[in-house]
Amino acid sequence: MYQIALKMLLGDRSKYIMLLGGLTFSALLMTQQCSVFFGLLSWTTSHMRNMRASIWVVDPKVEQLNEIKPMRDTDVNRVRSVKGVGFAVPLYTGIVQARMPDGAFKPVQLVGLDSASLVGRPPVILAGELAQLRLPHAVMIDQLGVKRLSFGRPHPLGIGDTFEINDREARIVGICKTDLHFFGYPYVYTTYDEALQFGPKERKMLSIVLAEPAKGYTAEQTARLIEKDTHLKAYTEPEFKKATLDWYFKNTGIPISFGTTILLGFIVGIVVSGQTFYSFVLENLKNLGALKAMGASNGLIARMLVIQALTVGFLGYGIGVGMTVLFGMGASKNGQPPFLFPYQLPLFTLAVILIICLFSAFLGILKIYKLEPAIVFRG
Amino acid sequence: MAESKPFNGNLAVHVRGVTKSFGKGEAKTFALKGVNFDARQGELLMIVGPSGCGKTTLLSVIAGTLNCDEGEVEVFGSQIEKLKPRQVTEFRKKNVGFIFQQFNLIPTLSLIENVSVPLLINGVGRREAESKSRDLLDKLGLKGRGKERPTNLSGGQQQRVAIARALVHEPRLIICDEPTSALDKETGARIMELLRETAIAPDRCVIVVTHDSRVYKYADRMTEMEDGRVERVHENIQLNPPKGDH
Repeated sequence: MYQIALKMLLGDRSKYIMLLGGLTFSALLMTQQCSVFFGLLSWTTSHMRNMRASIWVVDPKVEQLNEIKPMRDTDVNRVRSVKGVGFAVPLYTGIVQARMPDGAFKPVQLVGLDSASLVGRPPVILAGELAQLRLPHAVMIDQLGVKRLSFGRPHPLGIGDTFEINDREARIVGICKTDLHFFGYPYVYTTYDEALQFGPKERKMLSIVLAEPAKGYTAEQTARLIEKDTHLKAYTEPEFKKATLDWYFKNTGIPISFGTTILLGFIVGIVVSGQTFYSFVLENLKNLGALKAMGASNGLIARMLVIQALTVGFLGYGIGVGMTVLFGMGASKNGQPPFLFPYQLPLFTLAVILIICLFSAFLGILKIYKLEPAIVFRG
Repeated sequence: MAESKPFNGNLAVHVRGVTKSFGKGEAKTFALKGVNFDARQGELLMIVGPSGCGKTTLLSVIAGTLNCDEGEVEVFGSQIEKLKPRQVTEFRKKNVGFIFQQFNLIPTLSLIENVSVPLLINGVGRREAESKSRDLLDKLGLKGRGKERPTNLSGGQQQRVAIARALVHEPRLIICDEPTSALDKETGARIMELLRETAIAPDRCVIVVTHDSRVYKYADRMTEMEDGRVERVHENIQLNPPKGDH
């Protein structure tokens, strides 16, 4: 009978396409928007993946990773003196202007690494040697930097080429691969000392102290000890990530805006699918009544409806998620829009689509349970 | 009101004092007002009468698709009114075949699939069900057309499929609701002939509700209803067809 149920569904082309369309759109909207949302959120913490450290020490007033309040240079030594700290190095981060050959400016994210250790180095170096970063005026730029800063040049920027940052020459010694910045700026790595020269002059220039716990200490223990002894704010990596995400949730319209679209996907799914499936049941009422008259139990017809609803549900889910994956492939090729597709996301969408389908089937089942088989005798 | 004549043979349907009302309070109307009715095994019995006289309601009560308010309904020894809903469904599944006025074939299924439905409901495997259905369609003059859709067929052909569907699981009671009213005279006559040829069996009863006087001659007996009651029963219709058109 389940095959009969499927033929009844597939035979009614217009309803079937409407149902499939509604569920596909719903799955696409929810999955794609969630992916972009997660991608955007992941961009807010891209510094952590591009600089990598167990402990991030910042000014006590700092709430999130993308808004840094500079500290005094001596704070590095204060952190180093804390028991439980394996090592601590200074890090400069700031947005500076890179000058294009035509005189236009492009903002870049300047990262100044400790010259001795180069802790906070780029995650993947595509060309050049990291050690050469210690040379005067040396910088390492990411692929986005190559793309952005090559604009107006006869050939793409490469090793040995130069450009200007704040009227100072910067010589490219390497190309690296980074995770995209939240604001979409290219990363430019240099040493801490060079960064102080490239960056705008301020009374305090130390952005962050990157630290690692000493042997026998966990990152949490060390972070708490740093806070206790220095009165600076020390975050472990997960803590800083959480604080940053929380800040964006509380202080920006991003979650509400994406949440509304995702909710819209759910509503569209439930309204279109529920309404279409219900009208499919209504139009088939005589046939379903005939099946009841012929001895099909309510349970059997209910199972038939569930099979029908789940079939379009799985198909719509598959197409919707498939389209999201295609979108994601395009996004990762172009570097934007932000896109992150954790394994929980398709599971979440599947659960929501199943809820929509079961709700739709439930509406039909309610009707069937109330349906008198004698309806077939009414002209 | 005329009572059924005493009958000593095996009764297929035995209905006594059945009432059925619809609505509540002042809007309450009685469709059946203490109906007594018998149908025998091996016969084709027609229930006739004007529109609204309660013949379809009586048919629904006999078929177990509608509960009566009062009275006894015994079909092949089972007291229908005493059965639980699930048992009534089970009873219908095994013992009742239906032929409807509008055929009620599922348009998205092939003829074979439509005919297979009662067998599938009874738990018969798909291949066996389709094989039986194909054979029956062949017998009913639809050889080689099993894979077609009902919408490709004429009214008469669709009713043949409906007859096949009603017979395929070999039920003991065949219920036909106005089987010829959607058909022209000639097609209606052919359908009734086919019904007599294929449906009548010694251990089976065929009950036809109709107000089409052109097909009265195909009945073995006829029960005439009026205003929710059985007015009279005509015996030996084949020999003495009654006059009149409802």
